Amino acid sequence: MNIYLKELKSHRKSIIFWSIGVFLMVVSGMTKYDAYSTSGQSMTELLEDLPKSLRAVFGFSDFDLTKASGFYGMLFLYLLLMATIHAAMLGATIIAKEERDKTSEFLFVKPVSRNKIITAKLLAAFTNLVIFNLATFVSSIVILGRYSDGEAVNGEIAILMAAMFFMQVLFMVIGSALAAIKKRPKSAASLATGILLLTYILSVVIDLNEDIEGLKYLTPFKYFEAKNVMYGGGFEAVFVILSVVLIVGLSIVTYVFFRRRDLNT
Amino acid sequence: MNVIEINNLTKTYGKARGISDVSFNVEEGEIFGFIGPNGAGKSTTIRTLLSLIYPTSGSATIFGKDCIKDAPEIKKHIGYLPSEVFYYDNMKVKDLLKYSASFYKKDCSQRIKELAEIMDLDLNKKIDDLSLGNKKKVGIVQGLLHSPKLIILDEPTSGLDPLMQQKFFELLEEENKKGATILFSSHILTEVQRLCNRVAIIKEGKIVTVEKISTLKENTYKKFKIETKAPLDPNYFNITGVNKLEVKDNITSFLYRGNINLVMKKIAEMEIVNLWIEEPDLEEIFMHYYEKEA
Repeated sequence: MNIYLKELKSHRKSIIFWSIGVFLMVVSGMTKYDAYSTSGQSMTELLEDLPKSLRAVFGFSDFDLTKASGFYGMLFLYLLLMATIHAAMLGATIIAKEERDKTSEFLFVKPVSRNKIITAKLLAAFTNLVIFNLATFVSSIVILGRYSDGEAVNGEIAILMAAMFFMQVLFMVIGSALAAIKKRPKSAASLATGILLLTYILSVVIDLNEDIEGLKYLTPFKYFEAKNVMYGGGFEAVFVILSVVLIVGLSIVTYVFFRRRDLNT
Repeated sequence: MNVIEINNLTKTYGKARGISDVSFNVEEGEIFGFIGPNGAGKSTTIRTLLSLIYPTSGSATIFGKDCIKDAPEIKKHIGYLPSEVFYYDNMKVKDLLKYSASFYKKDCSQRIKELAEIMDLDLNKKIDDLSLGNKKKVGIVQGLLHSPKLIILDEPTSGLDPLMQQKFFELLEEENKKGATILFSSHILTEVQRLCNRVAIIKEGKIVTVEKISTLKENTYKKFKIETKAPLDPNYFNITGVNKLEVKDNITSFLYRGNINLVMKKIAEMEIVNLWIEEPDLEEIFMHYYEKEA
């Protein structure tokens, strides 16, 4: 319990800044929608004239951008990137920082098992993910409510947040597993964000090239895409199962490798 | 009863040396010195005992329990002071000590106050504002605040001024009188000489010898220096036990190991101007062990 509280405290500032960041992201994104919707039909036509590849890269290929929910669906990709970057970095650093800051000779000499330390740290990281998710959820409901013009958007936001949460937890355990495995845990955070960007790019490439559709299982960014999840689409069972398996698997990897590792000074 | 038992502990890190076949015991209530030059394997041994790293082979027990399997249980009664102290920078000293105390299921606040007073430590400062010496003091208080039964110190005096060193040693002696066993690793021999009952000497990852400090000194030579009126015939002291005889003008010096009466008779028969007989200090004994192996 003491380790959990200590970790919450030491990440307090960071989660506040991230929450403000995500709020500003929603605000600035939806302000653009405002300018956009008032310009009327011409903008949509202009976008439709853009080459498919460019639309895929920016993530607005499949949305009705004249609707607030459609515009939000596009914006969601950027929120998702923020959330997963936060999660991956948090998962890696919360494990690695004791060795990075050389405080391991303090913490790991205390009468607690390594498993308990990892549990406390992962729970603290998990709590931060929940806060991040709620901050995004609340910002989205409040801001989107002002532009929705009677359209029911809260349900769409809720399901997107659920999707985001799966992704957050997944990237958190990718980060923590890397920190537990790597000899030099300092580099775990950058490696985790590297993997994140790589899988993101892969998801864009898949969008551009239908022949490699089969690779979608390799990138979590294909698991819960806004365009599939929204408007009654919901989650696909195979991806939910895949995510849960990955999350459980990587959590086990974190515990097993960390329990065996020689701590650096 | 042995508080620490180390059996053939070996740790290899790829190419780097680590330690090999380290075995020694530390008895309850003693202050045990662990000496060797930098990089000899002192910290590796200690970090293995604390299960910060795991041995390649061999085992160790503390309080009769396995130091890996029962680590959380054992650590309730261990106080550890690393050679370099690093703490969470954005914390106040007070908060760090409270955090440290929260791991032991007892009230340590009184002891924290006492220790801070003895070590002259300001509890309200932030840790990143502290000098190296003051950080070390935090480490000392942090290591002792739960009144551990076993205190493990890894080169504890670096960064402390002589006055604080003195206070710290007094504190350790007091803890020892109250029943704490102490494992004291150092490369500074005078401090080991002053505090410890027994020592293990480690070199290049291997234990060279484990001895009582008193035996270490008994078993070794004495240094003789004799001043005469005229240069002495180098063959005069040609008796067994004499080593490194040197005649420099009127000064003759040598090392002697054996029955002291034999030498004294020889000296009594001659006309001398002055005479010095010195106990070697630990440093010389230590060098002796090192040279022998080399």
